[in-house]
Amino acid sequence: MSAIDLSDPATIAVLTDALIAAGVDGLEITKAGGHLRIVVSKGEGARVSLIGNAQPDFSAPLVAIVKAPMAGRFCASHPSAPAEAEHLPRAVSDKDVIGFLRIGFVLLPIPAGRSGLLTRRLTEPDALVGFGDPLCEIEPLQ
Amino acid sequence: MIEIIETGPFNTVQDLGRPGYRDIGVSASGAMDPLAVRIGNILVGNDDGAAAIEVQTFPFKLRFEARAVFAVTGADGHPMLDARELLPWCTHFAEAGQILELRQPLTRARAYVVLGGGLDVPVLMGSRSTALRGGFGGNGGRPLINGDRIEIGTHSDGLPLPASGIAVVEPAVALDDVFPAPIDGVLPIRAIAGGEHELFASDGEAFWNQTWRISSRSDRTGYRLSGEPIKPTATIEMRSHGVVPGVIQVPPGGEPIIQMSDANTAGGYPKIAGIIECDLWRLGQARIGSRLRFIRSTHAEARAVEQAAARYIEDVRQTSQMIKRALKAMA
Amino acid sequence: MIVTSNILAPLREIVPATKGRARVSFIGARAFLLEAPGDFDLPAQRRIWALSQTVRHWVDIAEVIPGMTNFLAILKETPEDPEIVVRRLVEAWNNAESIDLAGKTIEIPVHYGGEYAIDLPAICEFSGLSDREVVRIHHEATYRVFALGSAPGFGYLHGLDPRIYMPRKTVPSLRMEKGCVTIGGMQTGVAMLTGPNGWNSLGYAELQMFDPTSPTPALMAPGDTVRFVPARIEL
Repeated sequence: MSAIDLSDPATIAVLTDALIAAGVDGLEITKAGGHLRIVVSKGEGARVSLIGNAQPDFSAPLVAIVKAPMAGRFCASHPSAPAEAEHLPRAVSDKDVIGFLRIGFVLLPIPAGRSGLLTRRLTEPDALVGFGDPLCEIEPLQ
Repeated sequence: MIEIIETGPFNTVQDLGRPGYRDIGVSASGAMDPLAVRIGNILVGNDDGAAAIEVQTFPFKLRFEARAVFAVTGADGHPMLDARELLPWCTHFAEAGQILELRQPLTRARAYVVLGGGLDVPVLMGSRSTALRGGFGGNGGRPLINGDRIEIGTHSDGLPLPASGIAVVEPAVALDDVFPAPIDGVLPIRAIAGGEHELFASDGEAFWNQTWRISSRSDRTGYRLSGEPIKPTATIEMRSHGVVPGVIQVPPGGEPIIQMSDANTAGGYPKIAGIIECDLWRLGQARIGSRLRFIRSTHAEARAVEQAAARYIEDVRQTSQMIKRALKAMA
Repeated sequence: MIVTSNILAPLREIVPATKGRARVSFIGARAFLLEAPGDFDLPAQRRIWALSQTVRHWVDIAEVIPGMTNFLAILKETPEDPEIVVRRLVEAWNNAESIDLAGKTIEIPVHYGGEYAIDLPAICEFSGLSDREVVRIHHEATYRVFALGSAPGFGYLHGLDPRIYMPRKTVPSLRMEKGCVTIGGMQTGVAMLTGPNGWNSLGYAELQMFDPTSPTPALMAPGDTVRFVPARIEL
């Protein structure tokens, strides 16, 4: 496990993008020695404040969870595509579709929402999920 | 506005056709795979009758001159937006200047580019379809050529589409219980015996028992089949009568012709059978050179298949609306 | 009246139309073709017109296409029991009174002979008449539009004098011009599209007979009377 540098502009940018993509208004992380606050304001992007030295003390990677935007049956691959064993982890970029919510005959593609490493699925194949249920984990690329 | 950058011959503007004018000699025309156009229109939020581009010669490229929502349905394989591969049967947003490219499908014959707002060409006799024989409708009554620019209609659907799109389980998969898959590459097509079937005596059985190949002399007007010729036991002088797509006529040479979307409105060759309408989209997606076999069907079966297809369409319509509303509420 | 559909009908009832009984067959699942018994003549066609007017108003009908002493009914949806539809059509046929449509009279100026009359020599040879006689017989007759079909606005005209009946060509002309005045068997008509055509041309008409932008796109309608008026005879 490697620590994340919260003072790194690139990391902040990734986090900010993730927040915007997820439709979240803001994020606050407080750790010994540092406090990171990102507020997404409509129309003018994000406001970032960093208090203290947020550097190396983080011991766990910042794992992002892709959540279900509504209820449905989560399929990791397209129902029309031949089923293939998925190799994890794999790199994904923000627009990549990491699965589909199936509601009747309609499929809602689920974008990764951020670039990173898709490390883990959090649902069984074709599991029924509810709004906000975690679907998979994406770790930032080093 | 879109601009056609690269097109082969015979790609046309089509909607669900202009039935109702066959009594004045006007073919119904319309998409060869109407199911694909219906689903595409539902996905992007159009009215059912909005016009799409039917692409049957590839590669095909168009440029968006303004931001637009679109879906590519019908064919298999992945369309490309600039250099990015896209999901078929799914809505996408294109920005001004982006180029959509359709490559040769893997196994199917026709792709439909459905745009949010539809293609804004004049409605003639209730339809925007291109009447190729009559030389009217669609884009100037002719197939698309490079450099054609077509206006996109106003997108009236009030519900926003999610940025990552809405897709469907395509008809061939969703309805695999009512549309049997090809067996050893031979597509089963259901038909009901026609007016002169008995006239073919034992050759009538040969019609059902053999595998036919779609010959290269096939187009939107009709598919000519090649196989062991079948002949009636007597030559009859038939009076010209109305026909509809799906009618299987046998000209003197003995190789059947299936009338398709641009079917002539009248015919006079002996009719051995008529394909049930709900199987015509499968034929519309069958390529030249591919093989098919006719299966005896009944009105009851045709009805069951039509109802299953109608339920699927209605499910996609209701569910996609519900999803758009739910996402809007949670945004 | 016993109803027979195509599937049940024995062979002898299929070759050509027999006396008295109309025959109904299927084209796919929701189109039904009724063929009138008897001759190809105006009385039979008048009953077809009457049948069209009746069936057109059935609630389950999407479209009707009158043909040459026959009639195609297209239903809105596939019926549960096709035999009921067959019975209803046959009954409607049996009850159809002969009507004479109060059509309009259309006069079509024709340039007989000349460069478009590519088949006039063949018609003369087949009929044993001179070109002058063929042209005179053609324009002196009065025609009725039996039905439209085959091409947008194309009217099948009945009333051709048997002396100038001319079989369709076994090898069609690959490119016959729109406007050619033609004879096909015992019918005559004006070509509506430029393209392959098996009928025999003896003249040319410039009259615009189809306009897709008009509320009534076709000039001709079933029941109309048509007269060909020689604008010029070039022999």
